[in-house]
Amino acid sequence: MKLFKFILLCLFLISPTQADTIYQLIKIPNLEIYNIKTENKLRYLNAKQAFTIGIDNNINCFKSSKQDLDKKYKIIEKNLNRYSQNFLRKINLKYIVMCEDLSISGINTAGIPDNVMKTLIVDIKFNQEYFERVLHHEVFHIINDSYKDVFNEKIWSSFNPKEFNYAKCSICTKKIGLDTYSKPDGFITEYSRSTASEDMAEVFSHLMHGNLPEVIDPILKKKIEFIKKGLLKIDENFIL
Amino acid sequence: MIEKIKASKSEKIIFLFVIILFLFSITSFILLKNKCLFVKNYDPNKINFDNPNNIAILNVECGNVIIELYPDISPNGVERFKTLVELNAYDDVAFHRVIKDKLVQAGDLEFGKKGNIDYGKIGTGKSGLGTIKSEIDKNFNYTKGSVGLARSLRYNTEDSQFFIILQDEPLYEGEYTPIGKVIFGLEALEKIKHLDKSEYVLRPDFINSLKLFN
Repeated sequence: MKLFKFILLCLFLISPTQADTIYQLIKIPNLEIYNIKTENKLRYLNAKQAFTIGIDNNINCFKSSKQDLDKKYKIIEKNLNRYSQNFLRKINLKYIVMCEDLSISGINTAGIPDNVMKTLIVDIKFNQEYFERVLHHEVFHIINDSYKDVFNEKIWSSFNPKEFNYAKCSICTKKIGLDTYSKPDGFITEYSRSTASEDMAEVFSHLMHGNLPEVIDPILKKKIEFIKKGLLKIDENFIL
Repeated sequence: MIEKIKASKSEKIIFLFVIILFLFSITSFILLKNKCLFVKNYDPNKINFDNPNNIAILNVECGNVIIELYPDISPNGVERFKTLVELNAYDDVAFHRVIKDKLVQAGDLEFGKKGNIDYGKIGTGKSGLGTIKSEIDKNFNYTKGSVGLARSLRYNTEDSQFFIILQDEPLYEGEYTPIGKVIFGLEALEKIKHLDKSEYVLRPDFINSLKLFN
């Protein structure tokens, strides 16, 4: 038995390091292909083991069961199929990484967008109630990161009442409620009040999910128009 | 009178063993020394090509690698490649990035030339012709032997570097500009020097020549 273990160890030590294509492309380890034959050419990957990335390894995510993946993949694909291949190319999104218990520096998060690596990491178990809407929210961050000039935060902030100020960052506030206000006052959810970028993402995700409040106040109306115009600047064929 | 001594049975076995050992050593030495021993060298002049204008012959240590170029899929990429081939720019350029059984990459004309290699910068060199736009819109199956243009992390940064894959890579579709496919001689690329611990090769193998067939 000892000899067997020794041989196994020797084989392991002398085996050459094999390059991982997925890691080469998006710099995330321990992933495997879930589905790459999609209409809009999005590539769906899943964690085959837990992975750690980021500065000081502060981003963690864990492997999901096959059953959970299969179930959530259908929902994710249905929602992301609404973005055309052309639009996805323009915003630089190509890889969807599916895993669970995604966190940054210990704080759970729904998704981590990275338009440089063309990747969106999605926590498939994040907030079941708003899961579909949250997907679009995260896609907006990719859009925003690729088109900062189109979605200018100063212009956006000017729609708000003068006395209102956003928090310094999305996690620097306790305003994290995702329930849609029935009577919005310029903000569509509590989380909208966190930062301009999150506010935009919330408006966009409601537009995509088709659950805008029945009553829309003048500020929110301006914000909706701003988002719509911005999207058409990126892709004149974009359909909400 | 000299008495004739007959070898005993065990002495005969030892003698036979020494001879076998000697033959084995010689054979192993030849095999190890000549990595190209079982690699077939294709003569392009003995092959009938459907489209001889789009055939490039990459000559490496173990023989010819015959590449069919696809200008219909990536006109600008193929044009750039042909321009550099016609200038003999790839001759004596290193296969600086080699991953065993996965890919070989060459074409750093600035830092990868034989006698002028800069190991600190290899892989970052330019051709002097500027970058070209990625051509990734058309469907292309990155199967074993496919040739693509390398680029930096961003699109539209293709220049002179190219890679040839030694296994199917479906994820490369839409990522890298395909310019062609090896139709003969891929085995010669499987013998290109690689390191087990690093993708970047110290004292690498070189392209002997890269020419167009016509």
